[in-house]
Amino acid sequence: MEEYKTSILILDDEPIVSKRLKPSLEKKGYEVEAFTTSKEALERIEERQFDIVVTDLKMEGVDGMQFLTRVKEKYPDTEVIVITGFATMATAKESFNKGVFDFLAKPFKLGEIADVIARAEAKKKGS
Amino acid sequence: MNILKRLKELCGIRTREKVPFKILFAEFKKSLELNNQILDLIADANDKLSGDYIFDEQYIQSTCRQLTDLVRQLIVTINHLTDQKYIGLYTYFHKIEEEIEALLRGQALNQVKDLILPYNEVSRDLADSVGGKNAHIGEIGSSLDLRIPDGFAITTAAYTLFLGENNLRERILTIRQRWKDCEIAVDDASRQIRQAIMSGEVPKKLKDEMIAAATYISSQYTESTPCFAVRSSAIGEDEISSFAGQYLSCLNIPLDEIPEAYKEVLASLYSPEAMEYRLMMDFRPHEIMMSVACQLMIPARASGVVYTYDPVRPEQETMVISSAWGLGEPIVSGELPTDTFILDRRPPHEVKEMRIVRKDESMVLRGCGGLAIDGVAEEQRTEPSLKAEQLRELARAGMRLEKYFKRPQDIEFAIDPQDQVVILQSRQLQLQQGRAPRACDLTGLDGKYRFLLRGHGTAAMEGIATGPAWVYTEGRDLADFPVGGILVARHATPQLARVIHRAVGFITDVGSTTGHLATVAREFRVPALFNTENGTEVIEDGRDITLDTECLSVYEGIVQELQYYAIQEDPIEEMYEYRLLRRVQKKIEPLNLTDPDGDNFTPEGCRTYHDLTRFVHEKAVETIIDLNFYHAHHKSTQAGQLLWDYPLDLILIDVGGGISGEHEKGIQPEQITCGPMQALLRGMSYPGIWDMTPAGVDFSSFMSSLTRTSSVRSTSPEDVGRNLAVVSAEYTNINFRLGYHFTVIDAYVSDNILDNHIYFRFSGGVTETVRRSRRTRLLAKILSHYDFLCELHGDIVVARLKRMDKGRMLHRLFLLGLLVGFTRQLDVKMVSESTIDTFFEEIRTIMEKEHGRV
Repeated sequence: MEEYKTSILILDDEPIVSKRLKPSLEKKGYEVEAFTTSKEALERIEERQFDIVVTDLKMEGVDGMQFLTRVKEKYPDTEVIVITGFATMATAKESFNKGVFDFLAKPFKLGEIADVIARAEAKKKGS
Repeated sequence: MNILKRLKELCGIRTREKVPFKILFAEFKKSLELNNQILDLIADANDKLSGDYIFDEQYIQSTCRQLTDLVRQLIVTINHLTDQKYIGLYTYFHKIEEEIEALLRGQALNQVKDLILPYNEVSRDLADSVGGKNAHIGEIGSSLDLRIPDGFAITTAAYTLFLGENNLRERILTIRQRWKDCEIAVDDASRQIRQAIMSGEVPKKLKDEMIAAATYISSQYTESTPCFAVRSSAIGEDEISSFAGQYLSCLNIPLDEIPEAYKEVLASLYSPEAMEYRLMMDFRPHEIMMSVACQLMIPARASGVVYTYDPVRPEQETMVISSAWGLGEPIVSGELPTDTFILDRRPPHEVKEMRIVRKDESMVLRGCGGLAIDGVAEEQRTEPSLKAEQLRELARAGMRLEKYFKRPQDIEFAIDPQDQVVILQSRQLQLQQGRAPRACDLTGLDGKYRFLLRGHGTAAMEGIATGPAWVYTEGRDLADFPVGGILVARHATPQLARVIHRAVGFITDVGSTTGHLATVAREFRVPALFNTENGTEVIEDGRDITLDTECLSVYEGIVQELQYYAIQEDPIEEMYEYRLLRRVQKKIEPLNLTDPDGDNFTPEGCRTYHDLTRFVHEKAVETIIDLNFYHAHHKSTQAGQLLWDYPLDLILIDVGGGISGEHEKGIQPEQITCGPMQALLRGMSYPGIWDMTPAGVDFSSFMSSLTRTSSVRSTSPEDVGRNLAVVSAEYTNINFRLGYHFTVIDAYVSDNILDNHIYFRFSGGVTETVRRSRRTRLLAKILSHYDFLCELHGDIVVARLKRMDKGRMLHRLFLLGLLVGFTRQLDVKMVSESTIDTFFEEIRTIMEKEHGRV
């Protein structure tokens, strides 16, 4: 039987984020899909559930808040992690009300996001 | 009132005398704070280049703007402090600011204006102007003792000129856009752009310069008509090997055909493959540039390629060399069969495996111009194409290149008619993903290897390094530092940066992660571990060690698991954000003003924000020291004479929190609340140190006087001058004239390590040169032992110390106190060379006894 892999969706309009994050997380044994537009990401979550969603809040022409609201609506047990620039930290804190698991300020270390994801994963497994 | 003065007052311009010292002092402290904030931000930004972070363009922009703002404030501050003495700094600041803004807007790369650069003027730093291939080969020729082909780079400035004069820029952009909009196929777009380039004219100025450079090189050779290889050296090429081979190389080109070949190479920038590749790699239009390499053609006897790691079996610790007779082109492209040699990566590079194939044909130069495939002489067909000595030489060169560029290398070489190895190209070798052992293999290293250091120190630059340790001790010549060595030193002094091209790692007992050496280590991505405390004691000179700064560990021997881990690192250089950050860093971080006495230590000499910051810091300290000399102190400050048992006529000026209680009749030592001053006075009043024996006594009586409580009032007051000290809770600036000695101490000691500094200057003395020189050397020896950076100018000793914790700083101020008392007449007593060691031991004993008591 194949081992279950925790699935992660990444949404950030800055391609560098997915480009760096995807291989790093895959190396750790996660199943990762990355998107740079919320349109595609929204389409994808209508098709399937992800265990963990990592999203930016403020993107050009995209509202990360809308995206994460939709994710929590459809899959209340999906853990959402918000990554955002320093300028939008206040908004990020607001997002806690939407049931966001945690947030990280950019720039962050690969190790830091890996820790947050591991905690989100542990919470899911525990629940 | 004088009209001018009145006018100035009306306009709010204060004259020098009107500014209270307290305010100037506050400005000084502000400059220190700004200085540290800037250095922290620079270090942070540098940290992002270490590869461990995810950052976006937004981050780069905001960091640059913060820095710009802080540097501007710093310049305002120094001008307040010096009555607008350094107004000229604004000019150079604005220049740098504009350059950074242009980079952020994506309007410029860091480029030179020269159209042609000979290889001896090309280095890695010029990669944005000459492309990766030229930059690498120039660097190899100038920094490593390896042979490269004679040649020159035709820069991106030439490319820009060519496009400009032929009105091609807009045309290319339009065609490119039509392709991106899917209006035309990539093949059509490529053909249209290439045709446009080929129908252009090489501008006369450029043509003349090319021909002149090539003629000059030809004139160095006796052969009648040397020919050239004209190759692409695009921006971004070579950083990633998958990019290689997509552009054109024109071989064996006669001198007068170089301009035409140049156009052909330029046109190859727009081959369909290259265009698609750049789209995939997210290259922005301003990054699409072509520099061209023009190299003297080598009529190679044999050619080939070295991989410093076997790409599919890196765990074997072997390198692979493939070669065949003649020129390299068909060997690289795989058209002709090649011999393969597997060698041990470790010296003496034993040949482990040899596969010799039958080589019936080879590529040769034809007369002048053109190439031909020729039959190989019968007796050579089954012979190995490389001799044993050449294999070893190639292996050595390969390892040098790998250590130097800090990545496994893919090297093209030729064997010239004199049987010499010539390096044609060296670039990063991509190891197959998943082939190298995985990170999880790193568990269990503890049991396998012995730790020399573990959990000690701070990482100034993250990374892993392996190589022999080279322990730097006083008197050792840095010129002897071996290529690929790990430098182990007591202090992270700026001088050590000299070995940056040869070092693969740095370990120091003491050092700041915001210091110059740390900055340089990040610039060159050399792993560095500072503040290990006892690295120089536990690491043996000449032994192989492995440094892992992420775990703050140093292992004995070579830890192969870590070595593989290091070379697996994702090539972050592939990302636009990384390239952009590197470019702006060039305007921010490099420090050109390293020597305060250097000719370039001027506002005009400032090329980067770091330079401006360094300049202002130096001038701020200098100003505060000078102010104390020449600036009549203001009534707003508290002042009084120190009432002390020792004949030290010291006037104290308190600018804030340095003295407590009433002091109309003088200040008792107990009233001093200034930390640095307390420590100094403690040292000066150490029993037996304030030596009062009259000058002229001999050595033995001096030694006895050290342990004797001398009558301090036995010296006449004429021996001491009037002395001045400015104090606050954390700061003191003292000017002592004791006997014939003159001492300046400027110290700031707080809980913030970054702010802490001590400056000590000692001069004068009434004795003949030899004894004075002994005294100077003794001081330097003691001060260096206690981590000061010393400069000796004749009999003047200048010592500086920065960024140590409070306890250590105060301990060292206690030392200065000892020295001020001790050296008062020391030169008189330095009767023999051995006195240097004796007195040194004496001071050390006292220091050890007092350790922790300050």
